[in-house]
Amino acid sequence: MSGYDSALSIFSPDGHVFQVEYALEAVKRGTCAVGVKGKEIVVLACERRTTLKLQDPRITPSKINRIDKHVQLAFAGLNADARILIDKARIEAQSYKLTLEDPVTVEYLTRYVAGVQQRYTQSGGTRPFGISTLIAGFDARDTVPKLYQTEPSGIYSAWKANAIGRSSKTVREFLEKNFDRENELSDDETIKLAIKALLEVVQTGAKNIEISIMKPREMRFMTSDEIEKIVKEIEDEKAVEAEKKKPKRRD
Amino acid sequence: MSQDPSTYNGGSAVAMVGKDCVAIACDLRLGQQSLGVSNDFEKIFHYGHVFLALTGLATDVISVHENFRMKTNLYKMAEQREIEPESFANLISSSLYERRFGPWFVGPIVAGLNTKSGNPFICGFDYIGCIDFAKDFIVAGTASEQLFGMCESLYEPNLEPDDLFETISQALLSAVDRDALSGWGGVVYVITKDKVVKRYLKTRQD
Amino acid sequence: MEIALGIRVKDGVILATSKAFTRGISVLKATDDKTRMLNDYNVLAFTGESGDTTQFAEYIQANIQLYTMREGSELNSKAIASYIRHELAKSLRTRKPYQVNVMLAGLDKGEEPFLSMIDYMGTRVDLPYAAHGYAAFYTMSLLDRHYKPDMNVQDGMKLLDMCEAELAKRFPVEFKGLLVKVVDKKGIRNVRGDTKVDDPEQ
Repeated sequence: MSGYDSALSIFSPDGHVFQVEYALEAVKRGTCAVGVKGKEIVVLACERRTTLKLQDPRITPSKINRIDKHVQLAFAGLNADARILIDKARIEAQSYKLTLEDPVTVEYLTRYVAGVQQRYTQSGGTRPFGISTLIAGFDARDTVPKLYQTEPSGIYSAWKANAIGRSSKTVREFLEKNFDRENELSDDETIKLAIKALLEVVQTGAKNIEISIMKPREMRFMTSDEIEKIVKEIEDEKAVEAEKKKPKRRD
Repeated sequence: MSQDPSTYNGGSAVAMVGKDCVAIACDLRLGQQSLGVSNDFEKIFHYGHVFLALTGLATDVISVHENFRMKTNLYKMAEQREIEPESFANLISSSLYERRFGPWFVGPIVAGLNTKSGNPFICGFDYIGCIDFAKDFIVAGTASEQLFGMCESLYEPNLEPDDLFETISQALLSAVDRDALSGWGGVVYVITKDKVVKRYLKTRQD
Repeated sequence: MEIALGIRVKDGVILATSKAFTRGISVLKATDDKTRMLNDYNVLAFTGESGDTTQFAEYIQANIQLYTMREGSELNSKAIASYIRHELAKSLRTRKPYQVNVMLAGLDKGEEPFLSMIDYMGTRVDLPYAAHGYAAFYTMSLLDRHYKPDMNVQDGMKLLDMCEAELAKRFPVEFKGLLVKVVDKKGIRNVRGDTKVDDPEQ
């Protein structure tokens, strides 16, 4: 042991940090999470793994987590890593409020989370977090929805709509095609688009989806009945669409 | 306004040995110097079948009790049985001495029956853990001098549970009435092999 | 010379604190709020060394809210009281202890009215009515005489009025009146001496 190998993340001769790239691989294997911004709403939608027959569904942890009253974080990747990062974010949110008497901004929290993720790629004896996150919410006394993404490398970015995790590329392409960049989305349109996007990769429908909707000063999870209703709407629309596309029979 | 931690809140306790039984009693007052604050502050706790009275600084009474609750729970899990009075007395002694140079300001009394031998056991401590083993009675708290006097005159060996209750109650009552920092009600536990009886005492309310 | 008073009644808890913020011989502010909201059903009133009080109360507030975020459920009054006592008892044996006396008012599990008085040493007593400092000498006799366990908030307010009148008459220092808060099924609200409504988002 020379002592120089205590850090697992070291450059390869061609400038790659393999551990960070492997972490991204773990993200790709994680369940999909989607975030969409509307005019005055931001929605997080996640694919939920089915609970096993003997598992207690009440304690199956959610992939969407509240960081403070006005911020939520959804992730894709290693669940165990996420817990640590979420706890760090929650402590920072409270400690920020304690010292500055003002709640964290969504951007600040994103920067903090990305900062933690970056630190774990460079300091000794650690491995990178195997997760990407979508951080959504509203700043205090503000009605502008915010949506950010962080990655294992510590990169962070702002989005109108984005997806992370399994098949995120497909979903992102779907969002790019269907997100109306000219007009801002209404609440219902936003929710619907998020569900539609997620349904691109979740075949099992409503029961494997969880959705959190955030408006200024309000944050709640949709009930499975509500989701079911919208999923049905989408399926009906698809059926009508398919009907139209059928070549008309000539009599 | 110099304040002595051991008499700031007030309160007293006493334990006595009878025939195959022990009794332990305390008052219910909690004050801030001359001002009475609470009349339901019980100072007797139990860990399994072992009873502990804690007089002295009220914050430390609570802290020390919570600490022994944790330690006896851990003991129970490690040993698969409840702690015996003799072992508990030594646990208290070492725990208090551990804080020799920053002590808990408490005056503890232990009372209980040994499960195996059935022998009554009582003992008291100073606030840094020196054990005072006694065959007859132990006193503690702001009325300890009055309690000494009452116990010396009322106590006799080998009392039956009912007589022991009468003796310890009269001793406590008369003692706390002569102490401005103790009283405001009392509790007595009489512990025998197969049952524990808890009784509340009416006392003068001044 | 600050005042913190609490009365627990059948359907809620009343909490009153003096509005004067004093340093030395001067009153610097007449609209001081010596309380912090911990969550929807628990408020903390505090008196003591001026730097320590807000620092300690806000530290408690942050930790209670952190608990809520971590566990997704509100901490009940008894647990909060136990936590605060523990923090003060821990602090007592440090080089510079917090010199803060607190009074916790709340609905335990959103149901049972709860009032706990904890002094800077960590002496915790759960009481039907309580007062910190010198105010106790003027109000306890009134409370002893007139308190009934089946009183409602309205009756409690009348009793508080008597206490305030007595303090105004006999207390030798100016305390600029009382800020009164009530905790009941409806949550926490200011009922008198209001200067600004607490922003629950903060």
